[in-house]
Amino acid sequence: MERITYTATIERIVEHDVDTRSLFLRLPAKTAFTFTPGQFISVAIPLPNENRVRPYTIASSPGDDGPLEIVLDLVPGGAGSEYLFARTVGDRLNFTGPFGLFTLERPPDIETIFAAEATAIAPIRPMLHRALAQPSTVPLKLFHAARTRKELLYADEFQATARRYANFSYEPILAQPPAGWSGRSGTVMEHIRALFVDGDARRDRAFYLCGVGNGVIELRDLLRKAGYPRRAVQYERW
Amino acid sequence: MARLRVIFESGEPERVIEFSPSQAPFQHDGRPGSILDVLLGHGVPLEHACGGNCACTTCHVIVKQGFDKLSEAEEREEDMLDRAPGLTPTSRLGCQAVIEDDDAEIVIVVPRYTINQQVADSRS
Repeated sequence: MERITYTATIERIVEHDVDTRSLFLRLPAKTAFTFTPGQFISVAIPLPNENRVRPYTIASSPGDDGPLEIVLDLVPGGAGSEYLFARTVGDRLNFTGPFGLFTLERPPDIETIFAAEATAIAPIRPMLHRALAQPSTVPLKLFHAARTRKELLYADEFQATARRYANFSYEPILAQPPAGWSGRSGTVMEHIRALFVDGDARRDRAFYLCGVGNGVIELRDLLRKAGYPRRAVQYERW
Repeated sequence: MARLRVIFESGEPERVIEFSPSQAPFQHDGRPGSILDVLLGHGVPLEHACGGNCACTTCHVIVKQGFDKLSEAEEREEDMLDRAPGLTPTSRLGCQAVIEDDDAEIVIVVPRYTINQQVADSRS
């Protein structure tokens, strides 16, 4: 199957932190591009001697008619992020997609826990929009862990969402919180274990976990070994 | 030397790669010494939309010979493969299956189709 290559223009760049930014990618008018919350695009990275592709999760929601938002960290020596951090508004990017199977297609009908670390919140954000698309009393909980407040991307938005929807709660977690922090502290693992493994014997919950490195695999193992059905524990490890 | 024969369901001419597993990695994507690494490092393309991170199934291959000469699949690869179109008992993800044996004779088929991607069509 021949892939369709899309060419988008960088419409806007938002700096979340010195080494974290969002790129907003505008496709030409009348381009039909659809995706499922959680999916990523595969961006072409032209290097002097080769072409590579690097995946970037879409942090915006399908159907909102705005540009596609991707969030990235500057990874020293990382070909993709160094190339993308050197782009400016008006530059064009080529990509294929969408790809990926870590998705949420419809509002869940059992209690659902979303957990992510830092920029791995990207797939969770459109998932939450989809999960809240219909009025529901099914509890939805977001645990977002980070090292610093600045890494808690979209915190204002999630707080506003929690005020608006009685069935949604937002639980930011800082590893080493500053004075005056009213959220949780520690690791996402500690809180998930305390609340949903040791906290009760219920196993009728679903989990969507995303992170960089092995932590997400440890979390998957914790939950599956604790008796949650394999398919109720969805995850993506970057 | 290990030997990797690649048959393309799309009808492209097959390729045979001879290589020494101990010299991996051959390039940057996928696990060092994986089928994806060996192919890309020898100029044979294999789609890998996620960059070889076990986050999609675009590098799905079917192993016709030498399945037991490959590294064992981890749970993450199995979880991903479960949702691969055209799954077979000897399916692997090219980015995860590492050829470790110096005398391995591996034959793989690269399937013609993947429906991992939703095909978008232009209205213009």
